[in-house]
Amino acid sequence: MIEYEFLKAKYLGNALKILDSYKNVKLLAGGTDILVDIHKKSKRLGDFNYILDISNIEELKYIEETSQTVEIGPLCTHTMLIESELISNMYPFLVTAAKTIGSPQIRNRGTVGGNISNASPAADLVPPLIALKTQLELSSVEGKRFVPLEKYIVGPYKTSQNPNELITKIIIPKIDKEYFGVFLKIGRRRAVNIARLNLAILAKVKQNIIEDIRIVPGSATPYPVRFTNLEQEIIGKRIDQIILEKITPKISEEMISITGERWSTPYKKPALEALFKRGMESIFAVFNN
Amino acid sequence: MNKISVTFYVNGKKEVLEVTPKERLLDTLRDQLKLKSVKEGCDVGECGACTVILNGQAVHSCLVLTAQLDGDEVYTTESLEKDGLLDPLQQAFIDHQAVQCGFCTPGILMSAKALLNKNPNPTREEIKTAIEGNLCRCTGYEQIIQAIESVSEKKLSSR
Ligand SMILES: Cc1cc2nc3c(=O)[nH]c(=O)nc-3n(C[C@H](O)[C@H](O)[C@H](O)COP(=O)(O)OP(=O)(O)OC[C@H]3O[C@@H](n4cnc5c(N)ncnc54)[C@H](O)[C@@H]3O)c2cc1C
Ligand code: FES
Ligand code: FES
Repeated sequence: MIEYEFLKAKYLGNALKILDSYKNVKLLAGGTDILVDIHKKSKRLGDFNYILDISNIEELKYIEETSQTVEIGPLCTHTMLIESELISNMYPFLVTAAKTIGSPQIRNRGTVGGNISNASPAADLVPPLIALKTQLELSSVEGKRFVPLEKYIVGPYKTSQNPNELITKIIIPKIDKEYFGVFLKIGRRRAVNIARLNLAILAKVKQNIIEDIRIVPGSATPYPVRFTNLEQEIIGKRIDQIILEKITPKISEEMISITGERWSTPYKKPALEALFKRGMESIFAVFNN
Repeated sequence: MNKISVTFYVNGKKEVLEVTPKERLLDTLRDQLKLKSVKEGCDVGECGACTVILNGQAVHSCLVLTAQLDGDEVYTTESLEKDGLLDPLQQAFIDHQAVQCGFCTPGILMSAKALLNKNPNPTREEIKTAIEGNLCRCTGYEQIIQAIESVSEKKLSSR
């Protein structure tokens, strides 16, 4: 049986003090990952003696714009993200990703911070957020530090967060209007869409030249990373110079160079290639007009 | 195990309760408050049978610890019937034969109610999205969608 004491904080300051003075504390936000893991007695949970409920910390629920960035409070739910005009205008492909998550009940309760921190290889917000070069603000009683999301997740269900820290801000740089993002996903079933594969592509195209591209598949590798070899193949090319049939196998080559051949490779290879091809086609379609 | 004192509102009535750290909202509603419309299905957020409305939004009561509540407002299917009269949505489920075994029905009613409260004239697509987290093994959904459509404001006023 999993036994624990329940603690709660209404203010960030209290949460930081509790994290500092208690040992083996598990943070609880929307609970849509943790309560499932508790029910299934999942090994992923690790040992913990306390649950610290942060779901009522109002100061961590906001979406704000600064001159250079958009800042999201970690306790924003997927529904808040979807309903935010700012996010819809700036990063529509992030909204596309959020809309594919679970069901309304899951989106109403599950949080952005929880999705990131759970560090599932299949977390749907992580690929688009990595493509956007998202930074995280981590806070503890000692102060704040900033970590790129790419460095925060260090393995499947593993992060570089210290036991006395929590995510207090998700910081997305603003992007030029020449950027266009796509998010694609193959799920098992619509209602419970723990992705088997997903893919975020963010491309900057100017006068038909791909000046920048960031390609981040989810569930293809132990944790989502940018496929930089593939990116380098594409950057600097004109759209009409890119032959999709030639370039698509490179995405699975890069996947296999990271994971090796696995039991799932025969399925993931063609599926990832097909997702990538579809993604690139929709990017080309936008810029050909 | 510590006991936690929580205060919240259920179907409009204030409740002050003692709960254990592991007690889910599902357990509190069914066992402490005897609100048996809230059904326990999968326990892991996949079937929607335990759906209630929390602060205006449909959520799975199997994925909320009651100790997390703090002045929040919860509504269950028991709140729909007023003075012995069924809510139009409930009546529509009967009229459209949207109920067979009935196990999924309270959860679907709550998902539909949360939608209609926000959006009294949902499109068919919006209705489908609202109930995508509720599994029904019996009806095939068509009757459920029709029942919900029939109580949209437009449909009601054209009757
Ligand atoms: C039926 C079902 C379907 C789902 N479908 C999808 C899907 O399609 N796509 C998808 O990506 N996910 C899906 N999920 C997973 C889950 O809903 C999301 O990952 C959600 O965003 C998790 O957020 P939460 O607030 O509920 O996390 P919690 O369960 O509260 O926490 C998750 C982890 O994050 C940590 N944490 C939470 N907040 C912070 C913080 N501020 N700082 C540091 N650590 C923190 C917790 O300690 C815990 O380790 C699904 C879950 C269920 C049950
Ligand atoms: S019992 Fe809660 S979703 Fe199935
Ligand atoms: S009526 Fe039986 S599950 Fe829906």
